[in-house]
This record gives sequence, structure tokens and C-alpha cells, in this order.
Amino acid sequence: MSADSTPSDASVKNRLSLGDASVSYHHLAVGSLAVLMTTYLSVLFHVTDIVGGTTTLLGLVAATLLAGTLIARRLRPKQAVVLAAVLLALGLVGYYLAVPSAYLVAMSLGKVVSDNVALLTGLSVLRMTEVGAWALGVAPAMVFAPWYLVLRRRYALAVGAAGTAMGFFVLTGDLSSFLTLVGMLAVTATLGFGTLARRGGTPEQVDTLAVVLVAMILLASTVTLVPGGGASPILPGGGGTPTVEDAFVSNGERMSIVGSIRLSPKVRFTVESEEPGYWRVGAYDRYDGNGWIRTGEARDYGPQPAPPGRSRAVEQTVTVKAERMAAMPAMWRPTRLESGDRDNTRVSPLGAFDPVGALREGEQYTVVSRVPDPSERQLRDAGTDYPARIENRYLQLPGSSEDRIRQRTNRVVEAADAETPYEKATAIEGWLESNKSYSLEVSRPDGNIAESFIFEMESGYCTYYATSMVTMLRSQGVPARFAVGYVSGQRVAEDEWVVRGLDSHAWVEVYFPDVGWVRFDPTPGGPREQAESSQIEAARQSNVSNVDTDESEEGTWTPTTTETTTVSGGNETTSPDGNATTVPSTPASGGLGDRQPINPGRGASNETFGGFTTTSGGTVGEEEDDESGGIPIGPPSREQTILGGLVAVGLLAAGRRSGTLERLRRAVWLRWQPREDPETDVSRAFDRLEYLLGREHRERRPGETPREYLTALEETTDLDDRATRVGSIYEQVRYAGDADDGLADEAVSLVDELVSDRRGLLGAR
Amino acid sequence: MTEANPPTRRTDPNPDPLPVDEAAAVADRVVENVERVIVGHHDVTEHIVTAILARGHLLLDDVPGVGKTMLARSLARSIDCEFSRVQFTPDLMPTDVTGVNVFDERTREFEFRPGPVFGNVVLADEINRAPPKTQSALLEAMEEAQVTVDGETYKLDQPFTVIATQNDVEADRTYELPIAEIDRFAKRLTLGYPSPEDESEVLRRVTGGHPIEELDAVATAEEVIAARETVADVTAEEAVRDYVTRLANYTRDHADLGVSPRGSIALLRSAQARAVLDGRDYVVPDDVQSEAEAVLAHRVRTGAESAAQSGRELIAEALDSVPVE
Repeated sequence: MSADSTPSDASVKNRLSLGDASVSYHHLAVGSLAVLMTTYLSVLFHVTDIVGGTTTLLGLVAATLLAGTLIARRLRPKQAVVLAAVLLALGLVGYYLAVPSAYLVAMSLGKVVSDNVALLTGLSVLRMTEVGAWALGVAPAMVFAPWYLVLRRRYALAVGAAGTAMGFFVLTGDLSSFLTLVGMLAVTATLGFGTLARRGGTPEQVDTLAVVLVAMILLASTVTLVPGGGASPILPGGGGTPTVEDAFVSNGERMSIVGSIRLSPKVRFTVESEEPGYWRVGAYDRYDGNGWIRTGEARDYGPQPAPPGRSRAVEQTVTVKAERMAAMPAMWRPTRLESGDRDNTRVSPLGAFDPVGALREGEQYTVVSRVPDPSERQLRDAGTDYPARIENRYLQLPGSSEDRIRQRTNRVVEAADAETPYEKATAIEGWLESNKSYSLEVSRPDGNIAESFIFEMESGYCTYYATSMVTMLRSQGVPARFAVGYVSGQRVAEDEWVVRGLDSHAWVEVYFPDVGWVRFDPTPGGPREQAESSQIEAARQSNVSNVDTDESEEGTWTPTTTETTTVSGGNETTSPDGNATTVPSTPASGGLGDRQPINPGRGASNETFGGFTTTSGGTVGEEEDDESGGIPIGPPSREQTILGGLVAVGLLAAGRRSGTLERLRRAVWLRWQPREDPETDVSRAFDRLEYLLGREHRERRPGETPREYLTALEETTDLDDRATRVGSIYEQVRYAGDADDGLADEAVSLVDELVSDRRGLLGAR
Repeated sequence: MTEANPPTRRTDPNPDPLPVDEAAAVADRVVENVERVIVGHHDVTEHIVTAILARGHLLLDDVPGVGKTMLARSLARSIDCEFSRVQFTPDLMPTDVTGVNVFDERTREFEFRPGPVFGNVVLADEINRAPPKTQSALLEAMEEAQVTVDGETYKLDQPFTVIATQNDVEADRTYELPIAEIDRFAKRLTLGYPSPEDESEVLRRVTGGHPIEELDAVATAEEVIAARETVADVTAEEAVRDYVTRLANYTRDHADLGVSPRGSIALLRSAQARAVLDGRDYVVPDDVQSEAEAVLAHRVRTGAESAAQSGRELIAEALDSVPVE
């Protein structure tokens, strides 16, 4: 024990006793720190779960903990600092060795700095291409430093070290708010127990610590219930229903999969193209169970190579109709911009063109794409001779669910008697199309999305289909990635398509050696288009603005010969005829049904469509977003009631422990005197006076008579005459039995005056 | 003869009580008057006056020659009543105190010749030097306010206050008073040696004529008796009675022998007298505190187990620890 621990009385101990069991505060602090370390190590664990290396990480952490425990007593702090720095440096060197050399060449000091700034402003570590190597590199230092410090009883420093690590992941956004809360509780507990361990503590102090922790939990879970607050880290609910485009075509580096979505019927852009296609916005390579992440860095614009296999050139001219659009949809694979602002265009790591910032309404660009055009035979014969960079990047799966998905996929593949990657892909595609039904109303499952969709969910929309297909393919060793964009939309002229928000879509790209990325779409086409067209019609009927361009209003252009869009290697056919003519068959209410958000916490939000019909003048078409931002204020929910009760109990406990409650009671007692009989009144008035004087000068000693007390105060201080008078009234009433209402009134009002003179109505203490 | 003749002048035994302020004035005058002779013993003088008003008797513990007799004589003279003095000696007989029936040759009858106890202020000097039998004769008189001689009972005239003195110097030649008898004294007081200033003042006063010779009465016996009625009427509310009880209980819990109920009664009476001295017709805890040491200290026996070394210490401790409510 350190020198400053000087327990002065028996109740101050270095151990917490609970009945027969007793735990030293030091061990409690170590335990709390372990929890803290667990929070950020869970991020590293999650990372390695996705990219591989979990076993190595666990071994590394265990070895570091063991080594730290063994050498903690022998190593001096300075040596430990050096050791931690060396560990960190070694880990980072290891990481840089793992990074592809092409990337290293491009690296400069400024780039390293800007990368780190990007990380600390919410860029997930998962976006690092070699995040697995990074996680293994930093883990020993992150484990050793806090562990060594806490074993040396340097609690504050240990928390500082661990807190820095946790703070890093908080800033990168990888630590969920729940884990952040747990981490903060662990920080508090470590510091609290550490202090108790150093200075000795009483059971009351442990109580106080417990109250603080409970208050933290309660505040963290209730403050977010305040109207306008963000989502609660503990309670479900909150947040609005996202639109599909919010969900996946804003083209961010990270795409979270959500529950129910709405599809906007507004026109986003028009395309002039020789042929229809999927207007691709971007793709994602890394799947973390909750959503998709695009790793790597965007590059400046430059002409892109064509796919390795046979391809044909398609020129598309896109005119933006939305207010702003942060993407440049084009068929895969875009190779060059014929017109448009090249300086403000970048090339994403997965080959899409992106505007810097966003395109404005009316802006136009022309892009030339090389669309892969393989024959089915080519695809069947493509083989599995994948380049290493493809294998490294597009076969990663969260390890925790990999086996289960693989087993199911094996059955699917075997049932279809599929052997080549192409056969596997079509088998999986077919299985998903036929076994899951299409619906926009989905409550987002907890945990791994793909696993839930494959094994539990009955229905979902494109994101779920595509995500599941990618994971199933990867489990079979077939490189695949998740792509988002728009389907071709409404054909309004021979070479013109109108694309609306509800055309947004997600699909799968599968890599074939010597062919490149080939599109597969596991989402059933029919139901999706039905939902789409019925919504357009519904929106038209309610005069939502911007549903149509001039051409699209006039109806869909029908080619003289039935045109069939054949997806490369695909078995999906899209009939533009059906697209246009199914409108009346679905009543408007059906469309409404699709739009309804399901979030049970927000009963008010399904009013939107009613709003449309009543304001049929059509001037407020813009108001399609029903996310008004306000939270309906109604009677508190059960959770709120329970939480409110918990808060009240916690506050009461804290109040009692801190004496606040007693002070409050005292303050009320001092200011408010209910009247009873004169004797009681006078006695209480005198008690109040005594309390007042006790606070101001000194308390009356036990054997001291009221008279002695007041006389003594009179001699040593300038005692108020009113106090003397109250004293004599008290004496008279108490000892002479002269209780009458007049005296009682006088005494009470004198004391009231004295109290308000000294304390005011709300004075402290 | 069955009914004893009153041997001295008698006073009305049941006068109407004086108003409190008049009673207080009587007491003040007496104290002031006594202090014209007695120098530097204001507290003791007040205690004696309250004892007289509370119908109590006093025990003075002292070395010889500090003015005990002078105090008693000035008191008697101030209230215009009989002063008598008995010097207790080892050969003193009970009848020497109470009086004796003497056969009258002329009338052929026994005639009662009252002893020194038939005075209003009786100074019993060195009471511990007389044998217990004689002591108890005096104590009976104190307790009952009457004496019985040869089967005849004689009422003592009121006011009647015994001021007994003890001499602690020659312990081997004394009969120490039993605790049961000491308990009958309302108060035990100590004069002690005067301070140098007081002593030189004493010396100044005795040069020439002794001041006591010039002392006039400032109150009548009737007034004293009426003031006693006033004291008896003084209110003692439950809070005060309770306080007295708790003080007594404290001594019982913290000493081998605590205060007897007789002691509690004496304390409450003295407190009543003290209230009158202060011009009040109700007792406050302060009165109790002023009287507690003089009234209680001699009634307790501290033992090896008590923290307090003496009765005085124990009472001081009780006053400090027993809360006033």
C-alpha cells in the first residue's frame, strides 16, 4: 500500500465487505479497468472477426496480459513507458509492411496526418484496407500500458491510457454508444475504486460511487428521451424512417442497413442512353454484420481501364433533376467522362465516378461505360484463378456467423448441383428470389443482417437480398461485392429514361477471372416494380410535385418490338411494358401501405399520406418527408415511466446519501411552520431560532439552558433583540405554562422575520 | 398537662402569600443586610436565604473562624427573630438541645424549659463533635419542626432554620454524620477563607465597633413566613420537573449512591425559592442549575467506578450532560 494511505478509524478499510465475502478495492479497480479495456478490445475483436485474425488477436491479448502481470512488479515506470512505445512502434511498422507497396509509394507525411485526422473525425477504422494488420499491431500496446499501470496502482494513469484508446474508437465511430457508456462507467468505477484503494474507504463511499454509476446509467438513458435528442444507446426506437436513398445511394463510405424504408416517387435524374441498364452509383467491399464499408481512398479523375473481358461501349448523358445529387450514376464500368466537370470528379476505390460535393439540379454529364458482355459459356468456364488482391479483399466475412452461413449455402449449392462460381451464383440468386418475399416493411434485426435474413426473416428488400447473396457467395470462396444505384426507370423515349427515387436499388457484383465484375440481382423483379409503379401513381394522384418530367407524364414509350433487357448472364428480365401499365391495378392504399413506417415508437408518422389527400391543391408537394423532427408528446411510455421511477429512486438515494434531502427538509422546516397549539408553536419557533443561531454562531450545548445560551450569545455577539424576545416567550410558555395564542403568534412571526432576514426565501443551507 | 404551652412568641402559621415581587424584595433586603456584616460571600448568603424560604436547613463545612456564627447571627438579626446557638461537645446531651422538664418546687409541677432548638435561626456549631444520640435529637427537630420531651410534643416556632457546622480539622475527635442524616440538610455550603481583599475589608469593618451591633432588622418573621408561602406557590412545569428527575437519575446511573427522592424534592423547592429571588413565579431550568450543586453534591457517594472524583464533580458533569429541554 502506498505511503499516503493512513486509515484513521476502523470503518475506513481497503476492502469492500459484502457479508462474508470481501474484495479489496484494488481488485475492484483492476476489474473495472478490465471492463474498460474490454470495450475497446471488442472493436479490435470485431475488426478481426471481419477480416480474419481473431485467434491471433486473442492470443496476443492474453500473452500481453500475462506478460504485463509478470513483469509489472519488476519493471520501473520509465522502462514501461519505453516498452509500451516500442510495442506501439513495432505494431505500426508491422502494419505498414502489410500495406500494399503501391499505397506506400503514394504516402507522404501530409497524407498520414490527413488520414489520421479523417479517422478521428468519424472515419471507421474498418475503412483501412489492412485493418487486420493494424488491429494486431496496436493491440499489444493498448493492452500493456493500462494493464501495467493499474497493476502498479497508478489508477489515474491507467485510466488515462485506456481512456485514450477508447476515445480513439469513440472518435472513429467504431465504438457503439452503449459500449461507450459501459466504458465511461468503467472509467468512473476504476477511478473511484482506485481512490478508495489508495486512501481507504468506508462503505458509505462505496455507496456514493454506486449512486454515481447508477445516475450515469439513468442519465445516459433518459437524457436522450428529451425531445429533440438523439437515439438512446439503450432504449430501442427513436430516429426517423430513412428513405432508400438515405440508406444507400447517398454514396457514403459506409452504409448501414436499416429497417423499414420509404421510396421517394420524385424524379432524380434522366438518362439518355443507347440501352437501358442499372445506373450504378457505387459499391462496397467490407461487410461488418451491420452494414457495408468501402475501404481505400478515392483518387483524382483519370480515364479508367476497361474490364479485362469482352465489353461494349455505352455512352450515357445524365441530367440531374433532383436538387442535389452526391453521386454520378453510370453503367458499370465507367471509363471516362466525355463532358462534365472532370476537375471536380474523383474515382472511388471500387471504380465509380463521384462528384466532389454534389451535383446541382440541371447539371449534366456524359460518361462512357464499358459494359462487360460475356457469354454464358465464358462465365461457366471462368474458373477460380482469382488474383490475390481480389481474394484478400472480397472474401472477408464476419467470422462469428461464417460457418452457419456456409453450411446453409452448401446445401443450396448442392441442391442445385452447382460447381462453378457461375452456377453457384445463379443457384444462390434463385434460392433467394424464390424463398424470400419482397417488402419494404422490415424491422431491422439485431446482429448480423445476412444471417438473420437467411435464417429467420420472411421478407426484405434489395439491401437484404444483396447482402445475403454476397455473404453466401463469399462463404463459397466466390469474390463478390455489394453495389448500389438505380434500375433503369421509366422509358420515355427510345433513348431516354426517367429515374425516380424509388428506382434506387442494391445488387451484387461477382468477380470472374478474365471477365471482371458481373452483375447479379437476387431481388425478385416483379413485386419490386409493382410497389414502385403503384407509388408513382399514388403520388401523381395526390399531386406531389416533381414526380414527372414533361415526357414521362405523357406515358411510357413503347418500342415496336418487345424489348427484353437481358442482364449479363442473368435470368432476370425486365419488361418495360409491365413497368408502365400496371398502375391502375393496384389501389392507392396499397401504395400507402408500402410507405408506412413501422417504427412502433412513432405513432404519428403515418399521417403523411392523409396529408397529401387533404391538401389536394398540390402546393405543398415538397412535404413528402414526414420527418417533421418533432417528437409527439403524449402520455409517457412504460419505459419512460420505469426510467422516471428509477431516476426518482436514484435521486432520492443520492439525495439522502449526500445530505441534500436532509438539507431540503431542513430548509422547508425552517421556513414553513404549520400552526398547532400555542405551546407546540412556540417550541417549534424556538427550535427554528436555535437552528438559525446554531448556524450563525454556535449550537446550544446539551446542559445549557435557553436563557444561558441566549445570554452567552448576547455577550459575545450582537444578538438580535427579537431573538431575546423569542427566548423569553419560550421560557414563559414552556416553564410558566402561560401558553396563549398571542405569544405564539408573536414568537412565530418574529422567527419568520429572522429567517427571512438572514436566509431569504430560498437561501442556501 | 397535655398541651404544651408555647414557650416563645408564636407567629401566624398560615399567612397569605406575598406577591412575588414583594417576596423577592424581602429576600433582597435580607441578603443586602447580611452583606453589611459578611464580606465576600454573596453566593453563600443567597443560598442561605433561599434555603430559609424553601424551609430547608444548612450544613456548613468549614475551618473555624471564617465567620459562620457571624453569618447566622446577622441573618437572625436581619429578619428580626430569635437566634440561638448550641456548641456541640462530646458530652452534650439530647436534652441540652431540645430542652428539659424541670420540677417546679412551688407549683409542684414539671415545667418545660425549652432548649436552644427553640429559636428561629439555630446555629449548631461543630455538630460532628456530639454523640449520635444528641445529633439525632437535633435532626428530628429539623425534620419534624417539633421536639418531643418525655412524651410531650412541642411545636417549634416558625421560621425555623438550623445552620449546622462541621469541623473537618480534627477528624479523630468527631462522630461523622451518617449519610442518612446528612441527606436531611437541604444544602451543604462552604464559606472558605476570604480573598485578601475581602479579608482586609473584614479587618477594616471590625475596627471600632463590630458592625453586627449596628445591624437592624429589615424583615419580620411574618414576612419571611409569607414569602415561604409565595415560594411554595411558584409554578414548576413538567419540563422543569422532568429536568430535575433526569438530573437525579443521572447521578444514580453514575455514582455508587445517587440522589434520593428527598434530594429531588429539595432541589425543586430550592429552585422555586431561587425563582422568587429572581422575581419570577415559575421555575426555569436555570434556577435548578443554580441550586443543583449546593443541594445535591453532599447526597451522592462517588465510588471507584465513577469518573467523577467528588459529588461536586458529578453534579457538574450531570449539569453538562443532561440536556435541557
